[in-house]
Amino acid sequence: MTTPPVAIEVASIPRTSRGLWRDAFRRLMRNGPAIVGMVCIAIFVFGALLAPLIARYDPTIGSLADGRQGPSLAHLMGTDLQGRDEFARVLYGARISLTVGVVAVFFGLVGGTLVGAIAGGAGGLVDGVLMRVVDVLLAVPGILLAIGIVAWLGHGEIQIMLAVGISYSPIFARLLRGSLLALRESDYVIAARSMGASPTRILMRHMLPNALTPLIVQATLAAATAIIDVAGLGFLGLGPGDPRVAEWGEMLTDSSKFLQSAPYLILFPGAAIVISAIGFNLLGDGLREALDPRLKR
Amino acid sequence: MARFIIRRLLVAIPVLFGLSVILFMFLRLLPGGGPAEAILGQHATPELVAKITASQGLDRPIYEQYFEYIGRLFHGDFGSSFVDGRQVLDTFLIRFPATIELTIGALIFAVGLGIPLGRLAARHPNSWTDGIVTAISLLGISIPVFVLGYTLVFFFGVELHWLPTFGQIDLRLDIPPVTHFAVIDAILAGHWYVIDALAHLVLPSIALGTIPLAVITRITRAAVIDVSNEDYVRTARAKGLTDRRVNDRHIMRNAWLPVTTVIGLQVGALLAGAVLTETVFSWNGVGSWVVTSIQNHDYIVVQSLVLIFASIFLLVNLIVDVGYAFLNPRIRYS
Amino acid sequence: MNLLSVHDLIVRFRTHDGTVHAVNGVSFDLNEGETLGLVGESGCGKSVTNLAVMRLLPSPAGRIEGGQVVFEGQDLLSLDESEMRDLRGKEIAMIFQDPMTSLNPVLTIEEQMVETIRAHRRVSKAEARAKTIELLSTVGIPQPESRLRNFPHQFSGGMRQRVMIAMALALEPKLLIADEPTTALDVTIQAQVLELLSRLAADRGTAVILITHDLGVVAGMTKRTNVMYAGFVVESATTADLFARPHHPYTVGLLHSMPRLDAQPGEPLIPIEGTPPDLRFAPVGCPFAPRCAWRVDRCWRENPVLEPMQPTQEIVTTGLQATHRIACWNQPTAEEAAAARPLRPGFTPAAPPTEDLS
Repeated sequence: MTTPPVAIEVASIPRTSRGLWRDAFRRLMRNGPAIVGMVCIAIFVFGALLAPLIARYDPTIGSLADGRQGPSLAHLMGTDLQGRDEFARVLYGARISLTVGVVAVFFGLVGGTLVGAIAGGAGGLVDGVLMRVVDVLLAVPGILLAIGIVAWLGHGEIQIMLAVGISYSPIFARLLRGSLLALRESDYVIAARSMGASPTRILMRHMLPNALTPLIVQATLAAATAIIDVAGLGFLGLGPGDPRVAEWGEMLTDSSKFLQSAPYLILFPGAAIVISAIGFNLLGDGLREALDPRLKR
Repeated sequence: MARFIIRRLLVAIPVLFGLSVILFMFLRLLPGGGPAEAILGQHATPELVAKITASQGLDRPIYEQYFEYIGRLFHGDFGSSFVDGRQVLDTFLIRFPATIELTIGALIFAVGLGIPLGRLAARHPNSWTDGIVTAISLLGISIPVFVLGYTLVFFFGVELHWLPTFGQIDLRLDIPPVTHFAVIDAILAGHWYVIDALAHLVLPSIALGTIPLAVITRITRAAVIDVSNEDYVRTARAKGLTDRRVNDRHIMRNAWLPVTTVIGLQVGALLAGAVLTETVFSWNGVGSWVVTSIQNHDYIVVQSLVLIFASIFLLVNLIVDVGYAFLNPRIRYS
Repeated sequence: MNLLSVHDLIVRFRTHDGTVHAVNGVSFDLNEGETLGLVGESGCGKSVTNLAVMRLLPSPAGRIEGGQVVFEGQDLLSLDESEMRDLRGKEIAMIFQDPMTSLNPVLTIEEQMVETIRAHRRVSKAEARAKTIELLSTVGIPQPESRLRNFPHQFSGGMRQRVMIAMALALEPKLLIADEPTTALDVTIQAQVLELLSRLAADRGTAVILITHDLGVVAGMTKRTNVMYAGFVVESATTADLFARPHHPYTVGLLHSMPRLDAQPGEPLIPIEGTPPDLRFAPVGCPFAPRCAWRVDRCWRENPVLEPMQPTQEIVTTGLQATHRIACWNQPTAEEAAAARPLRPGFTPAAPPTEDLS
């Protein structure tokens, strides 16, 4: 039996997109800790959304007579110094922390990826200049950058979103630029180019899906840090600025003097921050494992 | 090697200049009027505004102001605080040792506990030990410094009265501030006082160092696991070397490389975190000074402090990079 | 008594995706000073077999689940780890495929060689250093004293592999296992390194197991060769016999898919169709059956055992008189082997059985 001549089929450029996401989703759903994380996040999201329905009291109104009562059936988490229901304040605080945190990450993501894409795509002088700007932002460590920007812009939710967002954008910029540079030289991109695929097709089908995944992971993890940073700003007195509005960080500052007599006033907002941060961290780790199948366990 | 250091320095200098420009503009571009209004805040009256503008030279052309600013910086003149009129540099030198003490304490905690934990987890991957270590490090990065700080204050200070929670030392001890390092001053003053200074260092160091601890643990674990799977570790075993030798000479020597880089980066996190920690524990370091300056609209201080912090951070990064190049023969000898 | 005797070795890996049956009953013997080639494609179990002999399988995933390994009369599988460590490097040494990744990048050559020597012999650092210089010059490294303080990345690929050979032979082991020693090297360097290996082994009387996927490497170097497929040894013969008269369909396929200098111009390279089997499933029948042009129905059901051509022959397992053995139910004839396809009139390869055999 002679072996017939084998016709070599020109393989079409594989569809990387659909299969990748579906597989990743399935892997994510099988990841226990990730599901715990998603549950934590969901609790706070629903708590924040349904706050007006769940909370029995207005978080901004209270009478001094009711002040500093411990947890009871009437007030699940007790009352603060001014008699306001702590449970309601924690729920409404979730609104601020979650929205400000997530939007801040979103700002950072958009700004950072734009800069990173331009730098990585254009190369040369543009790349050099943009990366120096990124370096300047990175020179100020951690939350200090956000503090500085809020000091400059003043109080307010939008200002905090911008401040925290700007302090995260360098990370995303570097991440995307690094991905683009590495992918440009990777074997399968060169292979696609040699098969005559147009640069746009290469960008969309091959480079973006691979560059996106570390961004998604980083953004989720950044959300965890953002919630902490937003609370930190509130703690330092740089919060949204409206004294009636409940913000977790500010709640901690206000209650710090009463640590001995009313520790629950620190416990509940503190726990809220920690649990929501844990949620995003677990989800971020789960996404990382789900989206990169080559990771060794 | 020398070329490497010079190149890194050359990159750092424009960054600092860029930052100084931005900070310089920061003061000039404050929303709500000019810099004089911002500094005076509620106390702004037209006469005071005019006085400040004249005394600070705010009415001169921008580039003139900038060059004068840079010139003064090189002479160590960072301006003076509006709150107490003292030179920024003077107050800085008095307050900075406290922050250094705190940073060192936190670093010792983070590295001293983080690396052994990471190695432990890597030795038994996916076991219960590993799970516990991973859970601890997850918790570590999810607890903000101030929440942990107050929790520690509550348990160890308020409830158990084991450790002090306020300031660097017990003020009743009346230790003369020579170096402004509480520990050193305490040693200089007499034996027992050191214990008090160290006791005051414990809780803040734990609070500040927990996030770096978590990060260092994770990175050490990952680095040790990665290196353990490398071919040269297999070769080392094939040569009949003992486990101990393989671990120390072959695995750890290579795992140190990424770990030292991370430790360097964490110093930045420590500097930033000091701001929060000093506020919680009422330490008179540079961190709490940033906060009070912002609250007091003492913007010249804020501007100078941010520049100084950034310079320190860049210097630390440079040292880390050089250290890495030194440790990694592939860079050192090429 | 043979230097090394491997009998019915079974190695499995437990992974998240299932159990991988890497080695499924491999047996071979090796005499002192003999060179044995182990040939096969990636994944056939040739490396795993030898890692099992050294007891260097990645744990806890890799496990020896059956068989015997006897070295100089000692059952290696029953030794505890510290006894095994005594043997490694001193009596049995191994060199690996990629010398760049197989040498520690942060230690100097001197440090790595001295530690090898001092791990097994009580000598001073100075003595070990002197021995190192001697070894480096034996493997052809010019001016060894000046290169002691160098790091692996400062050597070329060929030089690095020479260093690995020097390190392996430092303690004059009785057995050297060379796992694809030249695969990562340029072709011109390959010949040099192989020649060096061959000469050193002959000089010291070291037995060598040479693992490779390249039949060309085996041709010049080894006296005997085992061909492996899917965790089994499918043919075992002296190298000369193997090339002159291959009997197993897989070996026939391998020889015909190699470009050869003596081939006629225009003669096509004949690849072996199909792909190696998925080792996550326990083998049923001959593992080569799906790709074999000579398969009969029995091949699908029963795995052939490694046997001599004529069943009545006395089996010699080592040396130049080694019996030519194959594991096949339907061997190609000499003409068929030369033509790379069955020539019997009316013969078609048996179709896969319709019922489930597992």
